[in-house]
Amino acid sequence: MRNSIVLAGLLAMLTLFEFANAGTPGATSDGVVPLDDQFSRLRDDFNRSKGTLRLLFVVDPICPGCLRGMDDMNRDLLARTKDARLQTFVVHVPVIGAQAKDVLPAAKLLENPNVRHYWNASGEFGRSLSKAVQLKNDKDFVYAWDVWLLYGPDAEWTGASPPRPELLMHQLWKLEGTKFPKLDSKVFAREVQMDLSKLPATATQE
Amino acid sequence: MTEKLKVAGVAGGAVGLGGFAAALGLCCAVPWTVALLGVTGAVAFARLSFLIPYALIGAAAFLGLGFWLAYREPVCQEGTCTPARGPLRLVIWLTAAIVVGLAITAVLFRVTIS
Repeated sequence: MRNSIVLAGLLAMLTLFEFANAGTPGATSDGVVPLDDQFSRLRDDFNRSKGTLRLLFVVDPICPGCLRGMDDMNRDLLARTKDARLQTFVVHVPVIGAQAKDVLPAAKLLENPNVRHYWNASGEFGRSLSKAVQLKNDKDFVYAWDVWLLYGPDAEWTGASPPRPELLMHQLWKLEGTKFPKLDSKVFAREVQMDLSKLPATATQE
Repeated sequence: MTEKLKVAGVAGGAVGLGGFAAALGLCCAVPWTVALLGVTGAVAFARLSFLIPYALIGAAAFLGLGFWLAYREPVCQEGTCTPARGPLRLVIWLTAAIVVGLAITAVLFRVTIS
């Protein structure tokens, strides 16, 4: 009898624990979601947020240029709103040697409740995104990192790679002089605000 | 101020500015910035990257001044010219080599990493 009570208590605690973590399925205790090379969790989260504006940032969490980009995006856009119609996905990739432990300090740069962070240890996401959005200079594909994408409310991720964005900005030397604009967080924020104003209002917007 | 001190100061300025440019250029190519300065420090450092061309121009100006000091007509009195220019010229050529190396590092790493 006593064993049954203990067992029931343990089960209840386990259920409560699972419930507490239900908001970020598969997330580690620090809220960073490990991303496999099929990007399944990101794809699910992306499609689940259909109907909202979605931002996708791809960064290396120890690259100062990427960190500056995140800080700019925070200053000009994310810190100014808690609007749930704007969802942000940040994929961290190891381009110059980042490790999983580097994600959390970088993640703190974005002060917004609707941001989710992913860690793709293999870096495959950058290659896949590069091909998906045709991130090329004259000759070659350019690995997609330090890129900043905006997706409209209708965008849906159906294939293996992410869909084409409405807007893509970058901070990559190799893409200078191409059709892709250099990151200007103020212009990016303006585009987002313009798109947001076209979306139906919700109770959670601020 | 002696010629030697002038050239040493100019060479130091050129190497300092070249080194600064190289550090800014390398900041996105090597993983040390966040480890050394933390996330906030790395962001601040990255914000200085616009200074790379100015630092390189400053280094070139120092070098130009150094070459002028080392190669200008010596002041000669009673058949003796002081100081001997040979060592000063060597210093300025060595400095030029170092600054060129630093400038290549500053530009090349910025290009390579992206």
